[in-house]
Amino acid sequence: MAPIPQHRPTSTKEAAELFKAATADGLTVAIRGGGTKQDWGATLEEPDLILDTSGLTGVVEHAAGDLITVVRAGTPMAELQRHLAPQRQQLALDEPLPGATVGGTVAANTSGPRRMLYGTARDLVIGMTVVRADGTVTHSGGKVVKNVAGYDLGKLFTGSYGTLGLITRCAFRLHPVPEATAFVRARVRDVAGILAAIRGLQVVPSAVEIDSATSEVAVLLEGTAAGVRARAATVATVLGDDQAKPDWWGTYPWRPGDTGIKVTAALSRVPALLTGRVGLRGSAGTGVLYAGLPADTPPGEVARTLDELRTAARDAGGHAIVLTAPEPVRERVDLWGPVDGLSLMWRVKHQFDPDGRFAAGRFVGGI
Amino acid sequence: MVAGIDALAGRLRDAIGAERVITDRQELRTYECDGLARFKVVPALVVLAGSAADVAATVQACADARVPFVARGSGTGLSGGALPHADGVLIVTSQMRRIVEIAPSDERAVVEPGVINLHVTRAAAPHGYFYAPDPSSQQICSIGGNVAENSGGAHCLKYGFTTNHVVGAHVVTPDGELVQLGGRAPDAPGYDLLGAFVGSEGTLGITTEVTLRLVRLPETVRTLLAAFETIDQAGAATSAIIGAGVVPAAVEMMDALAIEAAEAAVSCGYPAGAGAVLIVDLDGPDAEVEAQFAQVLTLCAEAFEIRIAAGDAERALFWKGRKSAFAAVGRISPDYIVQDGVIPRTALPEVLHRIGEVSRAHGVRVANVFHAGDGNLHPLVLFDDGVAGEAERAETASGAILDLCIEYGGSITGEHGVGMDKTKHMPRMFTDDDLETMQLVRCAFDPHSLANPGKVFPTPRLCGEVPGRHRGADQHPSQEAGLAEIF
Amino acid sequence: MEDVLGPIAGEPAFDADHPPRSDLIADCVHCGFCLTTCPTYVLWGEEMDSPRGRIYQMKQGLDGEPLTASMVRHFDACLGCMACVTACPSGVQYDRLIEDTRAQVERRHIRGLTDRARRAVIFALFPYPGRLRLLRGPLRAYQATGLQRLVARTGLLNRLAPTLATLDSLAPRLTSVPRPPRRVPARGPRRAVVGMLTGCVQAAFFPDVNAATIRVLAAEGCDVLIPPEQGCCGALSVHNGRAEQARGFARKLIDVFERTGMDYFVVNAAGCGSSLKEYDVLLADDPAYAEKARTFTAKVRDLSELLAELGPVAERHPLPVTVAYHDACHLAHAQGVRSQPRALLNGIPGLRLREIADPEICCGSAGVWNVLNPGPAAELGDRKARDVLATGATLLVTANPGCLMQVAASVARLGGRIDLAHTARVLDASIRGLSVDELH
Repeated sequence: MAPIPQHRPTSTKEAAELFKAATADGLTVAIRGGGTKQDWGATLEEPDLILDTSGLTGVVEHAAGDLITVVRAGTPMAELQRHLAPQRQQLALDEPLPGATVGGTVAANTSGPRRMLYGTARDLVIGMTVVRADGTVTHSGGKVVKNVAGYDLGKLFTGSYGTLGLITRCAFRLHPVPEATAFVRARVRDVAGILAAIRGLQVVPSAVEIDSATSEVAVLLEGTAAGVRARAATVATVLGDDQAKPDWWGTYPWRPGDTGIKVTAALSRVPALLTGRVGLRGSAGTGVLYAGLPADTPPGEVARTLDELRTAARDAGGHAIVLTAPEPVRERVDLWGPVDGLSLMWRVKHQFDPDGRFAAGRFVGGI
Repeated sequence: MVAGIDALAGRLRDAIGAERVITDRQELRTYECDGLARFKVVPALVVLAGSAADVAATVQACADARVPFVARGSGTGLSGGALPHADGVLIVTSQMRRIVEIAPSDERAVVEPGVINLHVTRAAAPHGYFYAPDPSSQQICSIGGNVAENSGGAHCLKYGFTTNHVVGAHVVTPDGELVQLGGRAPDAPGYDLLGAFVGSEGTLGITTEVTLRLVRLPETVRTLLAAFETIDQAGAATSAIIGAGVVPAAVEMMDALAIEAAEAAVSCGYPAGAGAVLIVDLDGPDAEVEAQFAQVLTLCAEAFEIRIAAGDAERALFWKGRKSAFAAVGRISPDYIVQDGVIPRTALPEVLHRIGEVSRAHGVRVANVFHAGDGNLHPLVLFDDGVAGEAERAETASGAILDLCIEYGGSITGEHGVGMDKTKHMPRMFTDDDLETMQLVRCAFDPHSLANPGKVFPTPRLCGEVPGRHRGADQHPSQEAGLAEIF
Repeated sequence: MEDVLGPIAGEPAFDADHPPRSDLIADCVHCGFCLTTCPTYVLWGEEMDSPRGRIYQMKQGLDGEPLTASMVRHFDACLGCMACVTACPSGVQYDRLIEDTRAQVERRHIRGLTDRARRAVIFALFPYPGRLRLLRGPLRAYQATGLQRLVARTGLLNRLAPTLATLDSLAPRLTSVPRPPRRVPARGPRRAVVGMLTGCVQAAFFPDVNAATIRVLAAEGCDVLIPPEQGCCGALSVHNGRAEQARGFARKLIDVFERTGMDYFVVNAAGCGSSLKEYDVLLADDPAYAEKARTFTAKVRDLSELLAELGPVAERHPLPVTVAYHDACHLAHAQGVRSQPRALLNGIPGLRLREIADPEICCGSAGVWNVLNPGPAAELGDRKARDVLATGATLLVTANPGCLMQVAASVARLGGRIDLAHTARVLDASIRGLSVDELH
């Protein structure tokens, strides 16, 4: 079998040429960044060519005084953070899967514990350059945080799994790296009570995480040295003195090859979700949690568990989505589940990629 | 006059009740402009919607009749976004003002679009929460309008804009269908259509219910007012504060002319002789605010006077001057243009000097009020319509200031939106390809260009695959019938 | 349907005799800050019944639009509460605009028969304290025999004559109080000579308020002059566009008090006070009275204003009571008097003062607006009553008889309970060492 042709453009222009040619030849394209989430979403048919973004790297601009940066999408997240660090600034996005690129993070809208304070990629992107299926290069947003000119297409592309086009550049708003950080953690029985108590403290945590496997709640505080000390002491009145960072912090509860499920819920319903059959780990502060089922779990059981989770999530105002799963499970379950506004989403897809060149079938509802 | 408006009015009366359909000439005229009173267009019909069903029925009727529609909340927008269409229906949501639910345990509020921004905070405050986006018009602007414009406010420096606080919405799309976007929990699967909808200025549909994110009230708020002799000093202090890693809740600046106006209007008592004042809000946990406040005080060392608000009443007074600044300039000038542009914050001192040059070159005074923390400028270009030529010079000066924003890599609008006021400037910020891409989204939602046509984009895009022929409300019936062409 | 882009048919709305001033209209920048404080916008959420919208219609009238029934309806619906004046950052003098507009409407618009009849009765009755006093006997009998309760139960009056029903529900329980003497001397050293307005509704139905006012003024070192030949101040007339009637009353009142040599002219009714402070404008075109009016106007003080100005000297005895203070629109918005009554109440030992939510929204009384618009007035009254009851106070204090009647009726309609008293009576009780019980 012939390997799929890989292309590694080193500029937006080059990528645009590539797409123009691909369109002319009627070819389908898959995008590959750090390769950390190739297994996410529905299984794709083999594309006609793979576009490798590792040539689209580098920080284009870092305006420290304005707290913004413009970076090429193929840049690994870690490299970007290293670039910003000397000025004591950061892109306040966690990296749950090490090795992810900026573009991949944005395209999948992955997030971690600190989304509670800083938001996700959706909230941090202030501008974007995208190459459409027909090779058109298009910009939205800009380089200033405050900007309402035109549609906020950055939000549309964020989390779109590459189905609308190739992200080649992103402009982000940055945050200062805090002077001090502290964790406070404890094993907890009355989850609802503890979470409500923490909210009542007004300490503005950067994250409130929970891991049902260890029955632990952990809070992250960031700020000035004196401020963090005082706030940690306040949180300690609820959680006690243990300030070690949990091992499970900021990682998904599954290994490569397992089934990974993302469950969302209204905040008040998070404790109820935790009483279900499968363990959950994630942000109790925002209602975004993750569940993992080992690779050898019978597909029928996975399906039943997913149904339960989906029903519980729906009752809690949220959703349960299978991010990744082994092949036998994929044949049994609907990865994405019910989606509001699907027909409208299809119409958007048709406008951007009428011939279905990008990642056809990977996204919701067969998009 | 569009043939068939009578029929549409009749259909609407049957569908939603005669008292909700306004056809009286004089009453229609009271709706002919929003907060941008320079531009007026009398709508063919006004509908006072009382419910989501009313909105859906009205949009459906418009879609069937191919009649354009424009949505309006409190009518306080500053870019003409709610300027009616002469042949269309103005759908007013000011009667949809129910706060459906305040859910502090979910940190959510569910409201109808006509609910006043400030009323959300008032309803949430007893529970220890508030609604963060605070435009200066928050005591009167509606949530629906905020969603359409992605409104900001002084405190968006720290807390973000409307789009960061809207987690769900029911939307009536231009074909009259009701769709749910987002929800109470985050990260709804699929495209972030909600993110595209917020800030789309009524061109993608009308929201009938919004789920908002509430933020925990800060433990402490400290406000200081610092008076500087020059704008440069104030700008340098701002840079120093941001550069030190402090994220204030708000940093606002007013120049001498703006201060004069505010004083005349609300007697805020700002220090006399100030070339610029900074109003800085720091909020958060006690200990953090203490530490940051000490830092900010040192960084404002060049100020000739610093006042620290002793309590809520004094804080309100500091802010009163800033919040009423726009309307207050009416006391020192018969007419004025409120401009809204963004520049990188670090370019602030230089741009303000350039604005001074523009002001002198065109012979019009410019008062400056702005969100110093994020570079969002609100130059107020003062003029007297009674003096020949002054209005034109003011317009030119206003446009020149926008040029500056683009020159320095900023934006033509930070908060007020493009509306109809800045459509002509869009091509200076975006290429044809950029605008065309945005319109792909529009075509997906509104293939017949019925939702607020003529706003945001300077030229409508063809949504069908038929080249050379315009579709939608802009086409004369004879053209559509193939009987005539426009030359 | 009319062609909105076509020519205007009919005569322009306003003539040259004091039309709403175009320079005042030009002050409006259409910002909309007035909307959420306007009671009719709060009720109906329509631009046409908001200050911004009314100003817009005035402008249309100046531009040639005719005075249609629709326009008149929207002007009539204005309560004249002036909350918009307080809220407006541009300083639009809406009070001036609506007064001139109403005068034009009264002169130039032919009202329907029922409306005309209703107004004729109201304006033949309310500005004449003598005629109002004549009603006391029959009204007392009506209340005493239980007939009023019976009528209320059957809801008969509501169906037959909503206006009468409103008047009925508003009528206070009557007390018998002797008429004041012509002059009451100061107690202790004299600090000022003040003339006092006895009013119309106040004199006829709340004579105890007048008595209390006189006592308080005397206790604070004022000689109080109360000429019995005084009449109406004309507020109701000028607020409803009957400018000539108002001027007649004004001239007479000025004449009566001109001879007294008073230092101040004290008013204990908010609605009256606001008009009295504008006598100089009302009589500006009258060469015989313009100067006298200016002199007179400079002396006008609300009771609480004067007491604050003079500073308290009479000892205050404790009144342990929780009070909600209601800002009458014509005192707060029209005269800017907010802090003085609060300071006076806070100066009474044992008295706890609570603030009412949404204080700037009118209770719906607005002169005779509640008699002319009973339905919406009841809605506004209910809102205010709910907010008042929510404070948990046992006593509502306000400085206007209209407000007192309106809130009393609304509270009763909601099945609630709260005592009501005029500011003067509370001060009087404290100075005389009365108990809280004697306040109702």
